Formats: sequence, structure tokens, C-alpha cells
Amino acid sequence: MGNRSSLLLREEEIAQIQEETGFTPNQIERLYSRFTSLDRGDCGTLSREDFLRIPELAINPLGDRIVHAFFEEGCGDRVNFLQFMQVLAHFRPIKKGRDNKLNSREQKLKFAFKMYDLDNDEKISRDELLAILHMMVGANISEEQLTSIAERTILEADQNGDQMISFEEFCKALERTDVEQKMSIRFLN
Amino acid sequence: MALLWTVVSVSFSIIITPFLMFLLAIIFLASIGKSLGVRRLYVKILLKIFEYGRQHIEIAKKDQRREMVTGSSCEGDGDADADATEDERAAAAASTAAAVERAAGAEAGADAGAGDAAHAPATRRPSPGGGAKAPACNGSAGALLPNGALPNSLSVISREDLILSPVPSLNSANGAAKEGLPRSRSFETLKREFELADCLEFVKAGVEAIIEDEVTLRFEAEELKSWNLLTRTNSWYEFISWRLTVIWVLGFLVRYCFLLPLRVLICFIGVAWAVLSMAVLGFLPPSSLKRWLHKRAFIITFRILARCLSMVLTYHDTQYRPDKGGVCVANHTSPIDIITVSTESCFSLIGQRHGGFLGVLQRALARASPHIWFERSEVKDREAVAKRLRQHVSDPKNPPILIFPEGTCINNTSVMQFKKGSFEVGGVIYPVAIKYDPKFGDAFWNSSRFSMMQYLYMMMTSWAIVCDVWYLPPMYQKEGETAIDFANRVKSCIARQGGLVDLMWDGQLKRMKAKKEWKEAQQEEYSKRLKLE
Repeated sequence: MGNRSSLLLREEEIAQIQEETGFTPNQIERLYSRFTSLDRGDCGTLSREDFLRIPELAINPLGDRIVHAFFEEGCGDRVNFLQFMQVLAHFRPIKKGRDNKLNSREQKLKFAFKMYDLDNDEKISRDELLAILHMMVGANISEEQLTSIAERTILEADQNGDQMISFEEFCKALERTDVEQKMSIRFLN
Repeated sequence: MALLWTVVSVSFSIIITPFLMFLLAIIFLASIGKSLGVRRLYVKILLKIFEYGRQHIEIAKKDQRREMVTGSSCEGDGDADADATEDERAAAAASTAAAVERAAGAEAGADAGAGDAAHAPATRRPSPGGGAKAPACNGSAGALLPNGALPNSLSVISREDLILSPVPSLNSANGAAKEGLPRSRSFETLKREFELADCLEFVKAGVEAIIEDEVTLRFEAEELKSWNLLTRTNSWYEFISWRLTVIWVLGFLVRYCFLLPLRVLICFIGVAWAVLSMAVLGFLPPSSLKRWLHKRAFIITFRILARCLSMVLTYHDTQYRPDKGGVCVANHTSPIDIITVSTESCFSLIGQRHGGFLGVLQRALARASPHIWFERSEVKDREAVAKRLRQHVSDPKNPPILIFPEGTCINNTSVMQFKKGSFEVGGVIYPVAIKYDPKFGDAFWNSSRFSMMQYLYMMMTSWAIVCDVWYLPPMYQKEGETAIDFANRVKSCIARQGGLVDLMWDGQLKRMKAKKEWKEAQQEEYSKRLKLE
């Protein structure tokens, strides 16, 4: 613990983050406190190791993909607080009548889509789906069965016959899923 | 010049004599095991000061927020403000009630979070201004809320869905259904085919863990709901007001200029007594006289050491106190735990051999009584330690042995996995639950941040160490129960009594990474739920 006065947030920064993400100042301060406690080296940014030090994340089968979502390509391999908040903003619950810039249903679906889309080409191929399945089941299911699961899934979702799932096809496949509830975290005050 | 000298020497002798008398009185009282209640009075006064300070901070913060809110017109300013003040009131009321209860010596642990509807109406009272007994706000006196779980005023999110655990059958939705569901039956009926939406559950659990997880916060000092006038806990409040600063300065002077030298002296005397008395006793041949003398000397040592940290200890259920052999287990927060339990009974200790200050104490104690100190390299040789343990326990003349099965210091908000070694020895287990009150001084030793000397320095410049100790009825291993299950059973008993969160996670996560096997267990758990073609 101790005094981290050199890293306290300034009012303008809080206002900027509030504007972009929609979090309240109280939430932003709490999340900043969490950010600094994860930041072991006290350098104002987080690396992948900082995230994976959280045991619950390290044992999550999709842990690596989730961490990857914070590190947009081209921004190096450190995450600053603004980027951190922008990713978390996707998980704010949708409020009717409010301006949902980052947490609309489409944004949430895009986040989920990026979990599957390993090479970032806006399409989920059969191999990418297979890779995610491997992450989720480990060595417990045979390769043939996984392949057949992947092929079936693509067959059901693919509409234009290119053997890959595009973002629109993904949204269509999930149209009956309660994405708002499954991809929203209940933030307090 | 001569005048100055006389003035100095006169004032010195005026101060020194009462000081020495005070010191002697403390040592004398420690030896005979009585107390004048000075420390409890001190703690009560401190509570009133904290209460005053807290109200002051609330008012100042509210004024600040009001200025900010009227200036900006962002979304959520309406309900954010309302939520904030409502939460503040509830948190204020809750911590007032809790504070007053503690002063009245009631059971700790009723730190009801603002979200607890049953308690909220009862605790929503204006602050009594100290001294008044709290209304019976916890009518359900038996229901201790786990106050190691962040009270709602400190939590950012509320976790309602999947929470991963190293033992996947205990993956839970926020504490629900920790008891075993009939697993085999539910699998067949709940198996589904794979869907693209299956990953959402894991993604949400992962992001929730990034925001707030159960484990990493156990290795940092517990966060206080309001400031206790020590700089080291001041991460939120910069300069608030003049009054508070004055109080803080006075507190600083009292702690550093009066209490610190007194405490260092007492500590010195205590250690000197330990070294001398144990050395003398070491020369006696083993006999019941020696054991009787040793017990007295041991207890006196730790009573003196308890006074050197201004400990205010409250013992509950002393009828279960371990006296004749057996194994005593407790949750571990710092080496001070030994002092906490040793002021009333004599124990044999087991632990790692240390150098420095602790090493001196260890060697001194080992001269007169059987303690088990092992080298780090020997820790890996579990058989040798287990053998010595069994030998010790089987001799009924030996004092009970004190073990901390977590194996490392945790921050006293939770109890982490108990290592099964001490539960394989056989014999009777006496569980003890220790809960420190963090307002007066945080007893947790964060060994990766602070050395022993730094830690002692911090302890001696805190206000006091206030602590509750519960002796629990002895427990025996049931027929057909494995050591691990027995350990978990004892652990949940201790956690429930102390109002701590019962975690399955290993305390060694303080230093090591999560094991691959746990992730593989999660993968296996998920694959069981998949219906295959």
C-alpha cells in the first residue's frame, strides 16, 4: 500500500475517461486502484504477465485470448489505463435511453467475435474455431470429434458458402442469445 | 551554561522516574498475569477519535463531490450522486454500528455490507457520538457475515455467474451450492452441443477476475473503510482539513515520541527475560518441576511481548483451550500470532529456522523445551518432519504443538488452503480462529515487501493490536475421511467462527504461479458438459 500520490488520477483524466467510457468517477477511481495494484513495477502500464498473475484468469481456458484482447496490435505489449478502461467499458450493462458508445449489443458481439478470430481478418475459419475448441477442452476430446464439431458449427452459421463465419453471420447465429446479460458485468455505484 | 544543564537534568529526572515506574508496573503486571484495563480504555478512546475523524472526512468529501457534480453534466450524475450518498450513509451507519459494537466488546464480524437488506434498516441510524450501546442490529447473532468478502461499499462489481476455482466441482455462482450437487446425474441431463455462445461464459468470468478476484487481494494489507490516522493507510485522503491534520500530528507525536521508546524497551526486556530464563531452565534435568517452571516462564515472556505491542486480546470459549498435548491449528497472519495465543497457555512451536531477531528467540526457546525448528532444505523432506511431529504428539507430557497449516502469512480476511501434513499425524486437533481488527494497526506481515525489522517498526508505531481469539471444540478425523477432507473441514470451521472467507486457493500463490493442472481441470470440467456426436 503506501502513498501512491505520484500516480493519482487528475480530474481532467477522470473526465476524459468518463466521457469516453461512461463509467462514473467513483468507478473510475476504484478501477484505477485495481490497475495500480496489478502494476507491480509501478510503471503506469500493464504487461501480459501482470494480467496472468491473477490466478482465476490464469486457470481460465480462454485466459490468453482475454488478455490478448487488451493488447491491440501496433500498440506494443503494454496497456495503459485508458486502453484498460476502454476494454472494460464493453462490459458495462446496456442502459436504455443512454448513449452506449462502447457497450452496445453490437460492440459486445464484436468483442466475442474477436475471441475467435485469431488472425484478425474479420472471419472465423475452421482452423481458428478448432484452435479455440482446443483451448476450451484441452486433451479431453479427440481430434476427430473436435473437427466434426467445428465443421458442424460452421455449416450451421455459414450463409454465403465461403466456409468461414463473418461478423454478420456470427451476429445472426447469436441472435437468440441473451448477449446483454452474458456479456455484461454488474458494476456497483 | 550551568543553569541550562541543571534545567535539563532536573526535567530529565522528573520525567524519568515516573517513566521507569510505569515500565516496572507493566512488567510486574505481565508477570502475575493481571491487567489494569489501561489498554482497553486506550482503545475505546481511539475509537471515538476515529469516529470523529471519519465523520469529518465524509462531510468534507461530500462537499467536494457536490462542487464537482454541479460543475459537470455527464450521464449518470443524477443516480451516481444518489447512489454515492446512499452508500456513504449506509457505510457510515454500518461502520458506526460495528465500531460501537467492538467497543462494547461484542463479537466481531458483523461488518454488514451495505447490500445486506436485513441489516440495513436496523443500522441506518445517525451516529451516536460514541459511547452508546448499539441497538441489537444483528438480531441473528449467530449469522456472522464473512467480513473478508469486500463489503459492498468497497466492491466494484457484484459477481453472480461463473467463478472459477482450482477444484472445478466448486466453481460456483457466488458461494451458492458449495455442497456437492449429485454431479453424475446433472451431467447427463445438462449436456449440450457446442455453440458459439459457449465462450461468453468464460470471457465474462475472465474479465470479472481482472476487475476483482478472490486471491490477489489476500496478499495485500486489508483495505479500511475509513482512515485510521496513520500515514501508511492514507492512499485516498490527501489534505482534507485542518482539524484532521492537528489530530494526526498529535497522534504522530504520541506514537513516535512516547509509545515507541516505551515499546522498544519492553520488547528488549521481554527478549532478555526469554533468553535468560530459558538458558537457566535448560540446565535443569527433565522433571515435572522443570515443566511447571518452563510453562510459567514461557507465558510471562509472551505476556511481556504482548504488552510491547499494546495488544488487546479477547479470548472466547476458553473452556476449549488446549492444555494437554495434541495439535493446535490456527490461521496465520504474522509471527505475532504466536504471541496472541501464547499469553494464556504454553505451546511447542514448529516452523522454519530464521536468522536475525526471530532466530535469537527461536534458539532461546529451544533450550528449555522441545520445539521443532527445521531448515528450508528439510521442508522438502516431509517424512522427517512428520516423524518428529508424531514423536512429539505421542508423548503426553509434551505441551500442545502450534501449527499454521496455511504455510504462509495471509492478510486475515480469508483462510486459504490448509496443508494436509499436520492432519495426518493422528490425534486430536484443537482449532483456533484469530481475527485482528485492522483499524488499530494492520498485523499482516507482507514478507515480500517488508523485512522483519521494518515490520516490527511498523507494529510498534501503530496504535495498538486488537484481536479476537476463539477456541473451538476439539476435532477428530472421522472414519474413512481423508486428511485433505479433514483439513478442509477444520478450515471451514475456523473460517466460519472468525468471519473469514473460506478459500480453496493455495496460499503459496503469493510466490508461485497458478498450476497447469488447475487449468487442465477446468478444461476437463467443460468437456464433460459437451455432448459429442
